[in-house]
Amino acid sequence: MKLVKFKSMFFLFIATLLLLAGCSSSSGKDSDTSTDGKVKLRFATWDVGDDVDLQQKMIDKFNEAHENIEVVLEAYGSDYDTKITAGMGAKDAPDIMYMWNYPQYKDALEPLDSYIEKEGADYKDNFYEALWNYNSADGKILGLPVGYTTHVVYYNKALFDQAGVEYPKAGWTWEDLQDAARKLTNKETKVSGFAFSGKPDPYDFEMFLWGNNASYVDKDGNLKGNLDSKESVEVFEMFQNMEKEGIAITTEGSGSTEMKSGKVAMFVYGAWGLTPLKEAGIDYGVVELPSFKNGKSVSILSSSGVSISENSKHKEEAFEFIKFWSNEEANKERIGFELPVLKSVVESEQLEQDEIKSVFYSMLEKSEGYTPASFIVKDWSRVSDNLNYVFESIFNPSTLMDPKEALKNAAE
Amino acid sequence: MLSKSRKANGYQLVNKKVPYLFILPWIIGFLVFTLGPLIFSLIMSFFDWPITSSPTFVGIENYKTMFTNDPQFYKSLEITLKFAAVFVPLNLVIALILALLITQPLKGIKMFRTIFYLPAVVSGVAISIIWGWIFNSEYGILNYILSLIGIEGPQWLVDPKWAILTIVIASAWGVGTMMLIFYTDIKGIPQELYEAAAIDGAGLFRQFFSITIPCITPTILFNVITSVIAALQQLALVLLLTGGGPLKSTYFYGLYVYNNAFKHHELGYASANAWLMFIVILILTMVIFKSSSTWVFYENEVKRKGKKKK
Repeated sequence: MKLVKFKSMFFLFIATLLLLAGCSSSSGKDSDTSTDGKVKLRFATWDVGDDVDLQQKMIDKFNEAHENIEVVLEAYGSDYDTKITAGMGAKDAPDIMYMWNYPQYKDALEPLDSYIEKEGADYKDNFYEALWNYNSADGKILGLPVGYTTHVVYYNKALFDQAGVEYPKAGWTWEDLQDAARKLTNKETKVSGFAFSGKPDPYDFEMFLWGNNASYVDKDGNLKGNLDSKESVEVFEMFQNMEKEGIAITTEGSGSTEMKSGKVAMFVYGAWGLTPLKEAGIDYGVVELPSFKNGKSVSILSSSGVSISENSKHKEEAFEFIKFWSNEEANKERIGFELPVLKSVVESEQLEQDEIKSVFYSMLEKSEGYTPASFIVKDWSRVSDNLNYVFESIFNPSTLMDPKEALKNAAE
Repeated sequence: MLSKSRKANGYQLVNKKVPYLFILPWIIGFLVFTLGPLIFSLIMSFFDWPITSSPTFVGIENYKTMFTNDPQFYKSLEITLKFAAVFVPLNLVIALILALLITQPLKGIKMFRTIFYLPAVVSGVAISIIWGWIFNSEYGILNYILSLIGIEGPQWLVDPKWAILTIVIASAWGVGTMMLIFYTDIKGIPQELYEAAAIDGAGLFRQFFSITIPCITPTILFNVITSVIAALQQLALVLLLTGGGPLKSTYFYGLYVYNNAFKHHELGYASANAWLMFIVILILTMVIFKSSSTWVFYENEVKRKGKKKK
């Protein structure tokens, strides 16, 4: 009896395995070429909602123009990193992927230098120079730039008018910002002059250190002597003092929620805020980041590009597509929600004259030549985690650690 | 006699192909989506796998690192156990009280049943976002209500001391399923028991502790075990509500494993983490099961004892 049972179980097991093998081999064929002999490319995007609709329309256009290629859009949304990570682990990553965190994914991406060289020097020069650094890792270009944002100060015009404070202008300093914040802060109406994240993303926060001639690490990735240098401690002290003085609040998120509520006069943010703040009915202006006394006004770039998976079987076709995805026409299509990365488009669309968008471009020019620590430090995600904790302990109102000591400990 | 029964059984087994066919989808699902990954992750826990490149065998290195060289491992484990210690009893009590309430023969009780069960149906993501709004210290509704009665609410999601309580409160919201299980069991208690007790002069509390509780101990056991497991695996809420903060005070074990895998891309290490939690849960469950013989009461147990078969 037992034997029969065992046999039937065994049979079942084998049948299941065969079935599985059947599934996987047939699906493997599918992803190579579709039935009509076209090369099928999978393209992963992190965008959601209307942006995806727009992207699908652009892809349809591409597919129509290319008889032999069919691009299929896969919208992963907020789970983007988890999904492409899993895809890479299973050697089944999409052929083309949106990308920003190049150092972390570099081993799974195809270097594009040789492809770009074939397009000629003019092709490469039309992109803003600073963007190439952000779309590379270990000296190899791994993605074509699609969009970017620098960080600027958003200010609420209505609150400035009420308090009778002049709007900030390019070339202002952090002291100017603090003066303005002091005047704008109003305990009765619960208005705060300035807001910054109480647990800032270390990647973003480094720009303030750059502004004061400091950085997290040196060329070789050493935290010691850099993160805890006099200049970087100054930066943290300045932010902490604003909080202690009560002219700034720390926010749980980026600060955009607080800005939307109309109770915050100024905060630092990227181009992501342009549309949402307008929709929230905030009459805002933007201005370059303030500079430090002996320093500069520098921003970090949050950039996005499109990359090709190292495991893709159709890299030539994939490059054809990412070239399309970053050409002039595509840049113009996206202009509603992405700042163009091509000089020719900025010129033809007269963005340099745009009161708001021009600020992001002048910030971009000022921010050339800086390399974020995430591109230098080998296990940045761990370091970033630790830094995040330290920064939070400095800014969290229930701890308010002394920056000098906290950073010294962190550097060790 | 013996051979006959064997034959009969064999015949039955041949005929049993059809039932197997019916449960085949489940068996395939189990093999592919549960057993397969389970074994795979066990193997992976002995590899160093930085996901973007290929895995290399490292033996028990991952487990060694975990115990000797990763302070966050102990911290996360401690936080999670603390959370479970608060969450499980609290959840049981709330579920039991609610279950008692909805067994009362009142007008419109069906509506209350639905209301109490509703949060269990809503997706965890939506719940997390809503709690995020409620607990926001500047603009949240909770602190607004507290301010109306003259209390200055704490900074729920900013103050490390309060954050874990925030998670407990938000988790307790999903008590509906447990309540329903208690409810059906309480409904199943024979009414005669209560009547007899009432005649003997037992009050409501006495009835509750001497009849209701003993009768539902099997359900309590079930709920304790499932909620211990749920508490130790809590992820969605911390992932969405606090992200592990403030100051890693809600950096639960589930989040720790998740981040090791998908943020730091150390899949082998994360697998080792997950297996350790598996063992912890296994031991805890076994302990609870062992202890159950002293406090869980099954109806048929008395009969068995009476017959003295064992």
